[in-house]
Amino acid sequence: MNVTVRFSRPFARLMLPFTIHRKRRNLYSTVLQRYMSSKASSLSCHNKDSTSPPEQLDLDRWKTTMKSSIQEDGVSMASDKGEDPLAATRELIEMWRLLRRQVPEHITEEELKTLMECASKSAQKKYLKFLYGKEIKKKAEQRKKEMKAEAREEAKKARLLETKGGEKQDFMFLRLWDRQMNIAMDWKGVQAMQFGQPLVFDMDYENFMKPAELQNTVSQLLESEGWNRRNVEPFHIYFCNLKLDSAYHRHLVKRYSEKWDKLLLTATEKSPVDVFPKDSIIYLTADSPNVMTTFKHDKIYIIGSLVDRTAQTGISLAKAKRLNLATERLPLDKYLQWDIGNKSLTLDQMIRILLCMKNTGNWEEALKFVPRRKHTGYLEVTQHSQEHFMKLKKTKKRLFLEGSLNVRTRKR
Amino acid sequence: MTFYLPGFRSFPKLWTSTLSLELGPATSPVFSFLRVTRNQHRWFSVKTTPPPNSKEINLQLAKARTLKKGHDSNRQGSFDHYFAAGAAKKRSHLTSNLQPREHAPSRVRRTIKLPTKPLNSEEWDKLKEDFNRKGSFEDWVISQMVCSSSSVDVAKSLLAWVAAKNNGIVGYNLLVKYLCLCVFHKQTSEVIDVYEIMKAKYKCLETAANTILIRGLIHSDRWREALLLLEDIKKVTVPSKRNYNDCIQGALLHQDVDMAWSLYQELVGHNLIPLLETLKAFFDFGKDINDDDYSDKLLDILLYLRNNQLYPGESFAHSIKTWFESIPGRQWKGQFTTVQRSGHCSSCGRALESIHLSPEEYEFLKGKIMRDVIDGGDQYKKTTPRELKRFENFINSCPPFDIVIDGLNVAKMFSKSRDSQILLYIVSQLAQQNLQLLVLGRKHMLIPSSRWRKDEMEWVRKLAHCFFADDISEDDPFLLYATLNSGNHCKFITKDLMRDHKACLSDVHAQHLFFKWQQGHQLAIRINFQKSKLTFQHTLSYDTVVQTTGDSWHIPYDEDLVQRSSYEVPTKWLCLQRKTQAPAGS
Repeated sequence: MNVTVRFSRPFARLMLPFTIHRKRRNLYSTVLQRYMSSKASSLSCHNKDSTSPPEQLDLDRWKTTMKSSIQEDGVSMASDKGEDPLAATRELIEMWRLLRRQVPEHITEEELKTLMECASKSAQKKYLKFLYGKEIKKKAEQRKKEMKAEAREEAKKARLLETKGGEKQDFMFLRLWDRQMNIAMDWKGVQAMQFGQPLVFDMDYENFMKPAELQNTVSQLLESEGWNRRNVEPFHIYFCNLKLDSAYHRHLVKRYSEKWDKLLLTATEKSPVDVFPKDSIIYLTADSPNVMTTFKHDKIYIIGSLVDRTAQTGISLAKAKRLNLATERLPLDKYLQWDIGNKSLTLDQMIRILLCMKNTGNWEEALKFVPRRKHTGYLEVTQHSQEHFMKLKKTKKRLFLEGSLNVRTRKR
Repeated sequence: MTFYLPGFRSFPKLWTSTLSLELGPATSPVFSFLRVTRNQHRWFSVKTTPPPNSKEINLQLAKARTLKKGHDSNRQGSFDHYFAAGAAKKRSHLTSNLQPREHAPSRVRRTIKLPTKPLNSEEWDKLKEDFNRKGSFEDWVISQMVCSSSSVDVAKSLLAWVAAKNNGIVGYNLLVKYLCLCVFHKQTSEVIDVYEIMKAKYKCLETAANTILIRGLIHSDRWREALLLLEDIKKVTVPSKRNYNDCIQGALLHQDVDMAWSLYQELVGHNLIPLLETLKAFFDFGKDINDDDYSDKLLDILLYLRNNQLYPGESFAHSIKTWFESIPGRQWKGQFTTVQRSGHCSSCGRALESIHLSPEEYEFLKGKIMRDVIDGGDQYKKTTPRELKRFENFINSCPPFDIVIDGLNVAKMFSKSRDSQILLYIVSQLAQQNLQLLVLGRKHMLIPSSRWRKDEMEWVRKLAHCFFADDISEDDPFLLYATLNSGNHCKFITKDLMRDHKACLSDVHAQHLFFKWQQGHQLAIRINFQKSKLTFQHTLSYDTVVQTTGDSWHIPYDEDLVQRSSYEVPTKWLCLQRKTQAPAGS
């Protein structure tokens, strides 16, 4: 019988139960045979509809015994497992993985503890999904890295073969681009520290953010600092209200590591109103009623370093109101046909817009940095077009109303 | 009647039940206007005569007087207050959604036709060759089977094929999906088989499989094992209310009442809101039981509904009615009815509970509004401390108001007319009734412009007390506070449903109180013809909540065909009373 040969591994273990239920065994082997033979005459089961279901059912039962005999090793494992909720959760996650749910393959004790601390089931699900995404990204990166390493290896080999002659070339510079660039940027940074226009990041919003949001904020700060450094004429960046040993500070130090103390910016525990004269400060916030028309080179702009994914609105406006500061928002509606998304932009987008405004003063140029998905295109800026747009909106509405009226009268 | 929304498919289903009764009061504005003014314009004309001390009572009396007895008033009363079930949906249809909208449900294109008969392995192989999607073929097929609830035999043949390919091993996810199908088709013996397999193969199951297994096992003799599975879930997380529902249903199915009640206690103990199905099951089971203890517990459930402002569905209401009528010796009589505007039940004539808050509740709500909505931890968010001070001084210097008007909301109602003109019109209409008015607005209203004329604003300021907040402050919190501060008789006019402010309140109890107060005190302007008389959506005088007087119960319920938003209340009632008692009133 070819079957036994094929399934030799599982069957070897199954011998014991099979010999016990001899009667059953006979049944199953016959079923097996019939199953195998049905492969040969494939169309037969179509024709005789009444006979095929019991055949299928038996096939199912055959699978059942396969399962029930596997239990031997499973049960013994289950018995020594304690009532530890952590272990139970780990197993739960393992089962979820079998169901192709979005859960990570490997989970550390720490992550498991964070998971248990989640307030609700949906929070747990979200956290698991987050870990899953992280894991997938990491794996993909790993794979890419390996592929690159392989390619590099090959390229090296090829080069070795080629340049065996070792002919020499004349160069003017040594290959030290990165270092030169860093030094140049630092020079510019020092100049900005001395004569640059201040740009303040207000770090007073730590209490309004969850840990994840705080980390996002720190990432955005890092990126904004990087953009600023590379600019022709950088701002002199201030991190105001940055309390020592706050979560902000800890994260920043962790991300910058030893570079933190050599950064060419001013980090202070003081509030911006203590550092600068009040009347030259402009607080940038999307909730402001005033629109920014031009970039003023003698003003100090404050950006609230806050990522708010929660439903609370108007935090930074409240702050500006409390300190009695002037506020402004970007003229997004004036220049862009806004489509979807929040009007508040990320910190790095803000600083790039401001840098661009500082250097060129051209709003169209500067608002290039607004994500493309958020708007459908530029508006023609002239006053005329704005009015035309409004008029169009109105006539559309009127037409619509008339239409609806017609419907109503017709109905009556 | 419904043809002007041809594209909206569920419309006829949703509305015919109510509209056909009422001849569509709101679909034809003129008609409804005529009908309502007949009842409501006296709201204001009667008001000039009564002595000034007890405006509120007279107001209600006037309303009650205008009501005609009988089915006519009944019909109207059922669907025209601002918070009536389905009213918001109807409003939105009237205003914005008139265009036929084609949201054609784009079904996923099927690459493979699902088999209707069990296939053998070669046929499955052939089918697999045609499969050109991402992911595994087996997963996809069994998922589609679950979606279209194919017969169990087809799924079985699939599993057999997979097992044959795979050394007799079927994946966990396939097993779970197969279990889904078995449970759906109520194949209990098959469920038990798969249960055995799973128990043997895997040392622990996860929540999805446990949930399905519980659901499948409760119908069998081994329903107690479902409780064990529930315990398994409890080890890791809190079971869902559906898990509890299934277990309770199973216990009731097998006459284990104590177990059912203890599970119910556990469920409530976890702060889960039980499914209405669960509660209905208790009532359905109660028909066959003559036990005082059991009926006390059922009455506790009704009180639970009351405290959490839950409303039973239509079938649940029928169950409640049947249970009450089945109690021997008491002779309860149940009737489905509506409540008249005056707050009297149309069936028994009893007055329902008043919508007005008790003095303690009122003070509590006032404090909460002040603390959570206006202040909210940071006074600068919605206003400034200076402005708050100014407002408080202003409120204290004025006599209590009768009506507080949200100036901007009212003025922006008709986009075609000038804002100040509408505001003036409304204020003057109300001022004729000798009411103390307060108009809340923002400072920009005072700056003359094309929409805000100076002379008209001057008139408004002469006729009413006015308070203008800063342009970046929110005026709604002021509106709420001014109304609450003036006392129980004071009402406010706005179309705003105030959901965002309700959401600011921290605890559920305060939100319930707020909603109750809002139902009793919010006036919404009703018609779109500002030339004609000013009318309002009528305010409720009674509280829509499960209530009892000992020998009578009044239970509002949701109709199956009406979709109710969370900020609306049902309009249909179940009236239960003891036959032995002579019906009170009417």
